[in-house]
Amino acid sequence: MTTQMTRVRPAAPVKERRRTRTANVADVGRPGFLWAAPATLFFAAFAVVPLIMVVVLSFMSWDGIGDPEFAGLDNWRRVLDDPVMIKSIWLSLLLTGLGVAIQTPLSILLGVWAAGNQKNRAVLSAIYFLPLLLSATAVAVVWGALLDPNFGVPAEATWLFGDGNLYGEQASAIGVLAFVSTWQFTPFHTLIYQGAARAIPPVLYQAAEVDGAGRYRQFFHITLPQLRNAMITSMILMVVGGLTTFETVLILTQGGPGTDTTISAYYMYERAFKSFDYGVGAAIALVLVLAATLISLVMVRLSGYDKMRSTTEGL
Amino acid sequence: MKTRRRMPRILAGGVALGLTLTLAACGDDGGSASGENEFTVLVYGDATNKVEKKLVDEFNKTSEVKARLDTIPGADYQQKLQTIISTPQAPDVFFHWGGGSIKPFVDADLLLPLDDFIKKDPGLKDNFLPSVFDASVVDGKAYGVPMRGTQPVMLFHNKKVLADAGVEPPETWDDLLAAVAELKDAGVTPIALGGGDMWPTQMWFQYLYDRIAGPELFQQALDGDKEAWASEDSRRALGMIRELVDAGAFGDTYDSVKFTNNGSPQLVASGKAGFELMGSWYYSTQQSLNEEFAAEDLGYSAFPSVDGGKGDPANLAGNTNNYYSVMKKAEHPEAIAEFLKLMYSDQFVKDQLSIGNLPTTANTPDFLDQAASPEYSKYQYDLVEKAPHFQLSWDQAYPQSAATDMHKAVQQFFNGGIDEDGFISAMQALPTS
Repeated sequence: MTTQMTRVRPAAPVKERRRTRTANVADVGRPGFLWAAPATLFFAAFAVVPLIMVVVLSFMSWDGIGDPEFAGLDNWRRVLDDPVMIKSIWLSLLLTGLGVAIQTPLSILLGVWAAGNQKNRAVLSAIYFLPLLLSATAVAVVWGALLDPNFGVPAEATWLFGDGNLYGEQASAIGVLAFVSTWQFTPFHTLIYQGAARAIPPVLYQAAEVDGAGRYRQFFHITLPQLRNAMITSMILMVVGGLTTFETVLILTQGGPGTDTTISAYYMYERAFKSFDYGVGAAIALVLVLAATLISLVMVRLSGYDKMRSTTEGL
Repeated sequence: MKTRRRMPRILAGGVALGLTLTLAACGDDGGSASGENEFTVLVYGDATNKVEKKLVDEFNKTSEVKARLDTIPGADYQQKLQTIISTPQAPDVFFHWGGGSIKPFVDADLLLPLDDFIKKDPGLKDNFLPSVFDASVVDGKAYGVPMRGTQPVMLFHNKKVLADAGVEPPETWDDLLAAVAELKDAGVTPIALGGGDMWPTQMWFQYLYDRIAGPELFQQALDGDKEAWASEDSRRALGMIRELVDAGAFGDTYDSVKFTNNGSPQLVASGKAGFELMGSWYYSTQQSLNEEFAAEDLGYSAFPSVDGGKGDPANLAGNTNNYYSVMKKAEHPEAIAEFLKLMYSDQFVKDQLSIGNLPTTANTPDFLDQAASPEYSKYQYDLVEKAPHFQLSWDQAYPQSAATDMHKAVQQFFNGGIDEDGFISAMQALPTS
């Protein structure tokens, strides 16, 4: 109770002043639009303008040499009629879904564990974060060598890998891609959850303990609900990151076998930079932009994240 | 999943596309990527680069205008080149595979015809084997100077593995099938294949089609007659490939193995596999990976003949040679002309031979004795000299825009993803011009 009093009292006059302009509690203490001006300018110069150029390019026919020619809806017709494109969208969604499903529980558990303050945790956490410091390319190259069927781990552990033909079949190739991404990016999401878990007021746990709640009840009734915003942030990042996964596919499978791991981002690269059809590549890129934006918006809406409700309200 | 630096990726891609667009628009007045007194030489990055480095160093010792060597690792070369070729970042001199691969650049008026160079120094043309030199003549003008060796594809083997299994290098397709069975019984993978790269898989197609149907079928298809792919000979070739794959010739894991990360050459060198079908650069690959193996146990033979096939068993497939072309915008053409003269120098021939490459200059036979393996070089030289037809690799002969889809079709046919009809329609769908 004392914490609540000390918190609310100094904040009260601010709240009063703001309320005259907006009734939204979430706006309390938040800066005006001017603060966002530099970032907005950068965003316009390096994101909006190129994006417009990509839109223009998607109506052009261009092989990288000479001048682009206007092609009307040709590229779009080709992209939307292309069975590989449809397949690539499903593959992107599958890989993204796998990423969210595997990494979210893993990183919540690890994050909450790492939020403790014993000494060994700090050391272990530091070691654990190492994959995050490596570039995705380096990670893919290293795992590519480790998973070589003749000279890597599969050659020794045949009980687990069978013949080791991991990139020759769709299921195992997707499995490898999901695994490598998990290995690299779980530390990042763990970091998010660790921060969020540290921010949960200890008073909640103290009160729960007084009421006789055990560790599991504390986890499911206090920790998890308090991590809601972190969860949404992390999952949006996973989804957008998952949809644009690229290096691991480029290095490990090249979209193969056949087109079995040709996800949309790789397909865009393939059409634009390997088949030199930049117009079609631009159209695929735009499909990706639209898909990622849509999914993010839906997630934000469904989760109520847009209301910016604080999980510490009422404390 | 991916998060760090991930969110802006699409946008970054947009920036890249956008930039190339702007740069292309103002490419005419763009300068060179090189410095004041310098010209850049762009080369496909692999084991052969040590010769190119040496030549550049040699040249820079005496020349006022310096050459700078840039290399791009193998698999990405063609993409990178075409992405930068009409931007100010374009190199002054660059490596390519001849004819088809520079046609678009010639059409876009980006390349310097070398006729003036040749007028001043006829040696730039006369010192090379005419058939090889002519492969980079486009529309009657010379655009390239041969700068590496000729690269026929051959069937390499591990002598020890073959001896242990009591197998001889195969002369006919039936010999090969028999050898596959013997090697399998001996517990080794009969043939190493870097299927993860896809182009090594394609080598089996281009040779078998040539042996069965002769060079005409492919030429017909390349000229736009898509029915060639549906012909009886085409089906026969596909059936024989199917038979070879189903016999377990390549083991089960070929699609997870790559040549470019040394996976498949290592299989042969370590005795886990018997054969590998690969370009003549295989010698320098093995030489830099396993020097002892290259010197003692690396064997080689021509691709086997096929009973009743229309193609001459002496026909070869592979790369005729590689070439240097010069950009029109290059600021130091005189220095570049001097640099190109090194490509027929005695030193060049000796250096190429020392790593197992076979240059196609008129003075090559004089130095065959000084090769890394004189026997290997002579064998290759004879093959090339006697070949009635030298088939340029399929993926180089077709326009670059067809290569990816061709590779996929080849990979899928091998691993059973598509059947004969699927392969035929995939090949028929490729752009031919």
